[in-house]
Amino acid sequence: MMTVLHTIDHAVVGAPALVEVAGLAKRYGEHRALADISFAIQPGEVLGLIGPNGAGKTTLLEAIAGLLPIDGGDVLWRGSPLPLARRRACIFYLPDGLRPWDTQFVSQVIGFFAAAYGRPESFVAEAIAVLGLPPVLRKRVGVLSKGYGRRLMLALALITPHPLLLMDEPFDGFDLKQTREIMGVVRDVAGSGRTLMLAIHQLLDAERVCDRFVLLADGRMRGVGTLAELQARTGKAGLEEVFLALT
Amino acid sequence: MRSPDPVVLHRAPYRALLAKELNEVLSGRALWTMLLILCPLVGYSFFQAVSLYGEASATARDQPQLASGLSPLDGVEVPTFGGFYLAVTLLFPFVAIRALGREKETGALRLLVQLPYRVPTLITAKMTVIAAAWLIAIIPALSALVLWAVLGGHLYAPETLNLLLGQLLYGLLVGAIALFAAAVSESSATAAIVALAFTIGSWVLDFALAGQPGVLQWISQLSLTQALRSFEQGLLSVGLSIGILAAIGGFAALAAVWLHPGVPMRVRVARSAICVAIVAAVLALATQIRLSVDLTEDRRNSFPAADQRALAELREPLLITVHMATEDPRYVDLRRNVLAKLERAMPHVTVRLATAGQSVVGSTSEENYGEIEYSYAGRTVKTRSTSHREALPLLYGLAGRSIPTPLPGDDYLGYPLVGDGALALPWFLGVLPLLIVAAWWWSRRAPRIPAELIKNGGQS
Repeated sequence: MMTVLHTIDHAVVGAPALVEVAGLAKRYGEHRALADISFAIQPGEVLGLIGPNGAGKTTLLEAIAGLLPIDGGDVLWRGSPLPLARRRACIFYLPDGLRPWDTQFVSQVIGFFAAAYGRPESFVAEAIAVLGLPPVLRKRVGVLSKGYGRRLMLALALITPHPLLLMDEPFDGFDLKQTREIMGVVRDVAGSGRTLMLAIHQLLDAERVCDRFVLLADGRMRGVGTLAELQARTGKAGLEEVFLALT
Repeated sequence: MRSPDPVVLHRAPYRALLAKELNEVLSGRALWTMLLILCPLVGYSFFQAVSLYGEASATARDQPQLASGLSPLDGVEVPTFGGFYLAVTLLFPFVAIRALGREKETGALRLLVQLPYRVPTLITAKMTVIAAAWLIAIIPALSALVLWAVLGGHLYAPETLNLLLGQLLYGLLVGAIALFAAAVSESSATAAIVALAFTIGSWVLDFALAGQPGVLQWISQLSLTQALRSFEQGLLSVGLSIGILAAIGGFAALAAVWLHPGVPMRVRVARSAICVAIVAAVLALATQIRLSVDLTEDRRNSFPAADQRALAELREPLLITVHMATEDPRYVDLRRNVLAKLERAMPHVTVRLATAGQSVVGSTSEENYGEIEYSYAGRTVKTRSTSHREALPLLYGLAGRSIPTPLPGDDYLGYPLVGDGALALPWFLGVLPLLIVAAWWWSRRAPRIPAELIKNGGQS
């Protein structure tokens, strides 16, 4: 596999990155879904993956999580290649719009995750309370509203112990108040030492919650850095203007 | 929120995975629908079998010599399980596909493969639950056996258990094929088509190719129904059992190869080729194992006990050269009545087909067509009879032995019973379906939730 270490962006020069994505490429037949994607994820940060629909955000997250075969490039964990078999020990990926095991009860699905990771009842109760899930524990996953479905998925992510969480559109389906509430949860997760990479198409949401951004369009990386760095590079104010300038 | 644990993952409990898989199958409709369809299917098969057995038994009352032909295995058990076989062939794939297909459709598989379970563990759990689903599905057929016993019918444990073992292996084989189909397909509908192509395709092999010579005959033996036939005849064939287990393991292994969405296609193809090669090697070895046990009470797959004992003492190699095409009905008779029994009774038997690969049309003009040569201890004798009554004396003559005296009490007397099968219909058409619906309703209740989980705002 091709390793393009020289193109990797390090947020802090000399600081060891948690994950380095190096020259990642993915094709679907003649269609190039991802081309030469390289960036680094620093420990404890919330990295926003920004791009319009069809930019390749989900493809990139699935490729990093090892759920999609790639055609080139590498994923490094603290500088060492991260083989497919070890991805699930380091990274947990929460797909978009999932209703897992929809004929089972919410409590059963949460209980399964808690048992799989050996989480104590008190820990699980805290995750359930934080996400406001107690009213739906006795409901089947398939009958949950979109918002509660998202909360369930976030609860599953909170139960996992992985240092790096990849989330695809975590705020989709929430109203403004709920979005702010969930953003608070996300910030708390990052504050506890976990690293997050969020694919978000609502730039306003991304600006509120993310520390740094990777801008993606047509399967290519258009920019990476903090909002201030991107503003300095483009001379534009606000993430929306920066995004339009770079894509 | 408290800090998460370090990256080191502990070994996840298998019981939690098994419970999740069982919930997935029980919370779907496929298993319960199959159970409800099985009630009239098995019930009517049982009713018909008992009625016909009763009519034959009534005749045997007037002519006692006919009673020896009345075996509950042929008369009641195999026909009753025929309905179950039909349901396993046509409906069980849908139950087994449920164990994986729904997860692929909803995307839950992408969560499952990230959990701290190895892919073989995931497949083992799914196969275990498929076996559990089969155990639930066989309840109507087992209840038919209980009813038969209640009616006063006779059950011979070894042959009944052997039949159940055959049905279990067949069910697991269908389940493993369905699991593999679900693993390679994007939707449950496609998986169902793939699985049914195997099961219904087997019927096509049975109808179209059975009795054909050469390669066609070999292909016809790949039919899934062949897996059950020997067990229905009361034979426990070690080679066949190993072959079916290898096929089950092979399809499960292929399902594991194709389960993880992150594995590149070339790796999947290479691993699949290795799986197929290993299974093919095991199957080839299994065909060389001739060990089989006749578990029937009437010993239909064996010669009379005195002959069995005498033949077991013939230690020299016996070569049998048959000048017949395999699709010739006389060869089929010879195979069943003499050759198969000799292979079980004697330690060293070799059967050679002099017309191998030829058809009846092409070989009947040969002068020696229809001859069977028995060569033992340097001497040879020829016959055209396909009956053991003629073949065995010839064989004893070659070996220089006298014909053994039949042992007293060796005759199978049969178990005639004039029972009323209609008594079973209220059970199969009323009580059992109601019990199944009640169990379905019970399985749908919400689970108990620990109080601590709902301490903050729960309504439950």
